[in-house]
Amino acid sequence: MMQLPEGGKIDGRQAVYLNITMILATAILVIPTIAAGPAKQDAWISVTLATLLGMPIAWLTVKLSSLFPGKTLIEYTVDILGRWPGKIVGLLYIFWFVHICSIMIREFGDFLVGVFMPQTPISVFHITVTIMAAYTIKQGLEVLARVNQIFLPIMLFSIILIFLLAIPEMDLNRLLPVFDSTVVDIFKGSLSPLAWMGEIITFAMIMPFLNKPGEAKRVAFISILVAGLVGTFIVIGALSIFGAGVASMTYSVLNMTRVVNITNFLDRLEPLIMVIWVSTGFIKITIFYYVIVLGSARWLKLSDYRPLVMPVGIILVTLSMAFWNNFLELIHFLAHVFPFYALFIFEAGMPLLLLTIVLIRKRGRK
Amino acid sequence: MTAFFRKPTRPRRVNSARNGQNKAQGNQQNTDGLSQSLLLSTDIDINLRHLKSIFHNCSDVIFREFFFAQKEHIKLALIYTDGLTDRTQVSEQIMRALALEVPMATSNEIITKTNALHYIKMRGLCINHVKESQKVEDVVDAVLSGETVLLVDGHDTALINDIRGWEARAIEDSKTETVVRGPRESFVETLRINTSMLRRKIKNPNLKVEMLKLGKATKTDVAVVYIKGIVNEGLVHEVKNRLNKIRIDGILESGYIEELIQDNPYTPFSTINHTDRPDRVAAYLLEGRVAILVDGTPVVLTAPTLFMEAIQTPEDYYEKTQFMTWVRILRILTMFISLTAPSFYIAIVSFHQEMLPTPLLLSIAAQREAVPLPAFAEVLLMEVAFEIIREAGIRLPQPVGQAVSIVAALIVGEAAVQAGLVAASTVIVVALTAMASFTVYYGGSIALRLLRFPLMFLAASLGLFGLISGIIVIVVHMAGLRSFGVPYLAPVAPIVPGDLKDFAVRAPWWAMFRRPRLIGQNDPQREVPGMMPKPPEPGKR
Repeated sequence: MMQLPEGGKIDGRQAVYLNITMILATAILVIPTIAAGPAKQDAWISVTLATLLGMPIAWLTVKLSSLFPGKTLIEYTVDILGRWPGKIVGLLYIFWFVHICSIMIREFGDFLVGVFMPQTPISVFHITVTIMAAYTIKQGLEVLARVNQIFLPIMLFSIILIFLLAIPEMDLNRLLPVFDSTVVDIFKGSLSPLAWMGEIITFAMIMPFLNKPGEAKRVAFISILVAGLVGTFIVIGALSIFGAGVASMTYSVLNMTRVVNITNFLDRLEPLIMVIWVSTGFIKITIFYYVIVLGSARWLKLSDYRPLVMPVGIILVTLSMAFWNNFLELIHFLAHVFPFYALFIFEAGMPLLLLTIVLIRKRGRK
Repeated sequence: MTAFFRKPTRPRRVNSARNGQNKAQGNQQNTDGLSQSLLLSTDIDINLRHLKSIFHNCSDVIFREFFFAQKEHIKLALIYTDGLTDRTQVSEQIMRALALEVPMATSNEIITKTNALHYIKMRGLCINHVKESQKVEDVVDAVLSGETVLLVDGHDTALINDIRGWEARAIEDSKTETVVRGPRESFVETLRINTSMLRRKIKNPNLKVEMLKLGKATKTDVAVVYIKGIVNEGLVHEVKNRLNKIRIDGILESGYIEELIQDNPYTPFSTINHTDRPDRVAAYLLEGRVAILVDGTPVVLTAPTLFMEAIQTPEDYYEKTQFMTWVRILRILTMFISLTAPSFYIAIVSFHQEMLPTPLLLSIAAQREAVPLPAFAEVLLMEVAFEIIREAGIRLPQPVGQAVSIVAALIVGEAAVQAGLVAASTVIVVALTAMASFTVYYGGSIALRLLRFPLMFLAASLGLFGLISGIIVIVVHMAGLRSFGVPYLAPVAPIVPGDLKDFAVRAPWWAMFRRPRLIGQNDPQREVPGMMPKPPEPGKR
């Protein structure tokens, strides 16, 4: 059995918190923009739809993992597909995690450079956050879960605060007319949020470390539900302030804080956004980083994952710099390529395939 | 497997070798040649000669030889350390009784050399606590710890009388943790008095006080105190285990022990709490913790420790819950201020001016216009100046203290601003930081005080991002800490919903009917639920 620092067990509540952060961290700032692109003022319907569609993915993840208790995604692909195909699928998943993680690091740096510190080289942020993540991972999953238990409530509290303070600027008439967009557009708008929801597949890597494996299903559903709820609220808030024009903003939630002005005193709440972004972004990066390192160690059958932390970190920083030339490329990739790439292959397609094979085999055996 | 076992054996071998050496040396010089096997002889002169050679040049050890008041000359000898023994008791209860009074009571019986010891012990000594021993080692230890040893000629057994008494400081107000409402007593330097103070608060045979001696040279008494039935047995075992591993020449303060047994040796946070208030220790014992009392210091260690104890004071549990909840929230806020206020100021002033409302920005800019230093240097200067004042305030002889505070206030507050060296806003920030750090319990605030400086560097180099990153790293570090197996950041991370009643909110006593879950799980219930006071229903009597 693999050695894990700190015993490596987390409870159901910690898992819920981790999943919520994992889904919301990236989404939180840009979800109104991305959903409102095709769906216009019906973006909130798109996000609700994405939440509903996220449920089957969560079910798929939990169902698949519960058939192989104690094993991560990387290991049971081998059990399902046989040695070589299984290993190849496992490797693909690791590559996908690496890809998401480097996207996340890039988004992290781009936001900070673009909004707060335009003269600082982006690599500073990439390297800093990766070092911080590496330090956390060296201490183990339990520590990561505990850190998240501190930052997620701060993040949710800040979001609620911003939402409440922005209420004077809101006008629900901006949501009208409802169902102005076609069903296809609404569905298109839900694709990107759904791709975020689908990151719940990462939970398949963490599930073996639940101290009560029976809670997995509840954990996954609650995570999707809460994340979807918060996402919907943010979208409603942004839409009722900016209307469908939100689609042309890069960081609509940041703009939400900018319109807050209570008696000329409580304005400029941007530091709050910075706190949210840096802390939850850091945790999301750490989760994926952890999953990569853990998955690679399991894939290579190492007894300890810690020797991999450093090399993987270097790879992540390098890739985050090399994949895209500028922010526009990244946004284009996220809006037009990522949903199909992530959703249909890794989040829904592959798990569905794996589950089908397992069920067919089971029937064959009987 | 072999590799796993090889590591710890290596230091152990070194230790045992060193012990052997010391013993050999001791035997040669005969200063403390106290090997276990050495027993007392029946001849008192041999014993005395031997003991005198051991206590050679120890002018405070008194040898008093006299005859037992009998026809047959039976030589007796008293050995005690002057200053550690109650002199009047020695002369009244032992010498007077044995040299003059015993014969009257025992006139009908014949006391000879062979049964003298028995009579002395049963009839002669008017002492409440008498032990017997035949080992030279025990005699030496007894003399050094303030007991009085009586040797009787013809017997190889020493009578050890516990009539200790020395000048001790009176019990006073706590100097480090003052309260408005609550008991006004604090621990003193004498271990026995300290344990008695705990016993007086918890009158229960389950309050166990286990003694051990630590320190090869100092032989310091250390007491492990816990309440059996409430405490987790594994915790007591672990505490004793760690204490027994200590091999050191001396323990002069409980800080030695703290550093030798804490879980993470490199952390600036104290993972073992220390206090000099008996009520605080008693409350901890009732929650299922273990206290370690060390002779010679009023500072008592308690474990396991949670970070949130830094914002708790004993008074929280005595004063109104609504008010104390407000104070708790205030303390959480001040903890943040004391850690981050200077760095936040640096980050805002040097990187994120746009975040300030325009009038405030203008006023700060106007103040800083004449200041030649960058914000970071300015704040650092003031912070270091404040640290100097604080340190001077502690070290200076007390009568001078007032002068220092006046000079410091003048220099830092007035002159520095007027000279244009620092901006007034900087002084405000630094002063606020300083005041905030005093509201947090001292043991908890020193880590924050120290970590403030790296955060200032980070804020000066990376702005708000650096500050947040620094805080994240600190939180990650703290989340990884454990104190005797209990996560340091509980009940926030991991969240323990029941224990949040005693974190930012201090729930009323009738609602806190469980002990902290991670500490007192052995006997979780501390009171009967449903004790909320209600007026009697009308009609019912």
